[in-house]
Amino acid sequence: MGELVNANDQSINRSYDCVVIGAGNGGLGAAAQLAAKGAKVLLLEQHNLPGGFASSFVRGRFEFETSLHEFCNVGSVTDKGSVREFLEDELGMHLDWVQVPEAFRMILTGPGEALDVTMPYGVEEFIDAIERYVPECRESITNYIDLCKEVVDAIAYLAASKGNPDRDVLMKEYANFLKTCPYTMDQVARALKVPPKAQKILHALWCYLGPPTSRTSFTIFAAMFYKFLITNAYIPRQRSHEYTSALDTRIRELGGQIEYNTRVERILVQGGQITGVETSRGDRIETRHVISNASPTLVYNKLIYPQSEVPEIAYKECNARVHGVTGFVVYLGLDATLEELGLGEYSYFIFESMDTDEMYDSLKTLPTPKIQATACLNNALPDCSPPGTSIMSITTLYRPEAWKDVKPHKYVATKNRIANELIANFEKATGAPIREHIEELEVATPQTFARYTGSYQGVIYAYEPEPWDSLIPRMMCMNDDKHFDGLEFCGGFAFRCHGYSSALLSGQTAALLTVRDMMEKGELA
Amino acid sequence: MKNRVSVRWHLWDLLAFRRLVPNRKKRIARASSEPLTRDPINELARQLHPDRLCLTIAEIRDETKTTRTFKLVADPDSDTRSLAYFRAGQYLSLRAHVNGATVTRPYSISSAPFEALGKDGFYEITIRQVEDGFLTGHIWEHWHVGTQIESSDPAGFFYHEPLRDRQAIVGLAGGSGITPFRSMAREIAHGKSDLKLTLMYGSSDEEDIPFYDEFKELERKAPDQFKAVHVLSCEPVSLEGCEQGFITAALIEKHADVETSSFFVCGPPLMYQFVEKELATFNLPPKRIRREVLGEVKDVAQLPGFPSNVVGKTFTLKVHIGDVTTEIPARADETVLVAMERANLAPPSKCRSGECGFCRSRLVQGEVYVNQEQDGRRAADRQFNYFHPCSSWPITDLEIHVPRSVD
Repeated sequence: MGELVNANDQSINRSYDCVVIGAGNGGLGAAAQLAAKGAKVLLLEQHNLPGGFASSFVRGRFEFETSLHEFCNVGSVTDKGSVREFLEDELGMHLDWVQVPEAFRMILTGPGEALDVTMPYGVEEFIDAIERYVPECRESITNYIDLCKEVVDAIAYLAASKGNPDRDVLMKEYANFLKTCPYTMDQVARALKVPPKAQKILHALWCYLGPPTSRTSFTIFAAMFYKFLITNAYIPRQRSHEYTSALDTRIRELGGQIEYNTRVERILVQGGQITGVETSRGDRIETRHVISNASPTLVYNKLIYPQSEVPEIAYKECNARVHGVTGFVVYLGLDATLEELGLGEYSYFIFESMDTDEMYDSLKTLPTPKIQATACLNNALPDCSPPGTSIMSITTLYRPEAWKDVKPHKYVATKNRIANELIANFEKATGAPIREHIEELEVATPQTFARYTGSYQGVIYAYEPEPWDSLIPRMMCMNDDKHFDGLEFCGGFAFRCHGYSSALLSGQTAALLTVRDMMEKGELA
Repeated sequence: MKNRVSVRWHLWDLLAFRRLVPNRKKRIARASSEPLTRDPINELARQLHPDRLCLTIAEIRDETKTTRTFKLVADPDSDTRSLAYFRAGQYLSLRAHVNGATVTRPYSISSAPFEALGKDGFYEITIRQVEDGFLTGHIWEHWHVGTQIESSDPAGFFYHEPLRDRQAIVGLAGGSGITPFRSMAREIAHGKSDLKLTLMYGSSDEEDIPFYDEFKELERKAPDQFKAVHVLSCEPVSLEGCEQGFITAALIEKHADVETSSFFVCGPPLMYQFVEKELATFNLPPKRIRREVLGEVKDVAQLPGFPSNVVGKTFTLKVHIGDVTTEIPARADETVLVAMERANLAPPSKCRSGECGFCRSRLVQGEVYVNQEQDGRRAADRQFNYFHPCSSWPITDLEIHVPRSVD
């Protein structure tokens, strides 16, 4: 019983130049870049959709965005960011990106906080706005943003130098970048004498990175913040499923093959060299190159076969690095317009305070976290839901440990209690009566993120970008971190750190490294 | 602009930069080399949503002359150790092997969620013989105590959601649409839910009402929370406490408080059509009416926009699954999914109503008719030629790419 008569007939037993594991942002980027370079590539995905966390789903008359808040580094048609350059110029795709109207509105709700600010993107616009809330902070903020620019320029220089930067150029042109590299967001903001109240506004986007500002690498924050300032934030018109489907289509047009519902169970290794993969569908595929969108944590602990091939140092890396937070999202389809509800902004950050250590601590236990980031989709995409309706998603974060003891029969009650409190917190902060307008409601928990991607502990923010393990040290250690010939990583767990644009572009980098390796070995025709 | 910033430059800053790499190495060297083994988040995700459940029939009960309940437990000979918990109103997609073809059918779970817990946990599904001749004929003949059944995880969205729905709900049901409400009623009567359910169930035969006695018992257990009103279209009606006629607006108002209730509708297509008209007279906002998905449409030629010139035709369907390409016949009056099942290609499927997207496939060439009432596709799927074979009919020859099923 239960055996498919022809299950074996459907299996894939061919060889490929490269197998990409996982069709998340990184895997899609990698497979597309490989195919564009003429490599014979097979992309394997356990779910039946592309995208990983970048997806959408339909409930009733609403189509919800699964996890994207805003895409960094897209840029306008005339002033392209790296994401748009990659998708349009390198891959020849045409996508419909929509600019998000403002940076964010941040409301601090704790006793004695009373901060409610609405901030724009754009360097001058941001400085003008923050000065209105915090008089006499112009100079320090201007310096801060100049420093952020230097960080972005330095990273571009490092990337262009392909790992061999000129020391003199670095010391002369990018000295401040070097100086700030080992430090945290808090340390640099204090060094530049940014007034405490201005720091609260400046650091609002910390929630996109995860660790408190006392632990987050300044470099990674600076790079993200400055890219948002100069390229603005964008979202795809038809939710993330649009660009991930477009990538799926483009990969196949370029000669790549994609198999969904296919979980990789083993990465075969012989003497440190990748030799193939085996899947849940009984496929045995020969390849000398694997690009993994699955994390090093999963690859070293679960996928490498035989396990004796995994060196001790690989386990140490997984244990030394701090696995980031997981997510919790309440999706709401409302039978009222945002205008009727009095909600004028796209992006609401509602935090009890900007004491991010305390906020982060609140993610460690099951009572409702003290932070939420809420997107009101129709304020960026007026027609994303039927007339008279609107779409909102309330996102918060959790340390995975908070959920470790939840039992199946308590699961629904647990998530509903948290969703209920998040809705209440939003209503209290904004005065918008959303509860009575809920026509569709769905809740994604850490388990949901785990279910659809297999991510270790449902982690959505990869490894925490503390100064010791942020972009630059990861770049400088790329050779040390490489334990298998033919294996590269992409996605949020790769060297660029997490976030949609970083994950996508890390796929491009992993593909280019793989292609270079293939050419050096004479493997690519 | 450049370098106008003067971060005070200390010797230790440079030192700190030079130490980034050695520091990282030191931290890694200090860390434990134990492999990571436990992942409670993924474990719970798998418990709630296993790829599949291997079940075996523990008991079969005749509810009425046409209705049978199958009690399903974890198959001891399989890797299924316990049953996945669910929400009252959800269904299982069961897989059956009929005349050499593998087909699936969604059946609402008629037992209560709490009954699935523990090592003696079970699901019940209740099937009416009249509704799907193809599969029920097979089930009546071949499903015995001990028969092994493969199932999906519990799925579907036809459940009470306290953050969205009123605490008082009115269930409007016909045919086997009674089953999700039995699950809710049992949950209520056993003190596991604070929901208030008024069930109005339409039947045409006094001798053929499933759960009539059981519901009387559940009403006694939870008199303030559960009430079943049987509405019989036959005459005369002799059973105690039954209404004669159909589920009209007037009858709904007689038994329920329309203004404070959410409505849940589940039954055969004809019943939907009737009940929708009655509900329309209340002028309720859409959020107050929840509908279980329709299931497979039997007579596609009746649907608006279906091209009449293809009725009776059979097309050629070229199917790519994994590394296999097959050419099979596909009748215009059967869904693309059914054509693939007839050819024993075992394509993935779950809801068979266009909603869940489990059968999502790519249309390489040709045209399909998509039932507008069941078009649960994502916008980008329409844009990039993806479709749901369970709610799409061939109207030309087709070439499609279908994912292999999960297991």
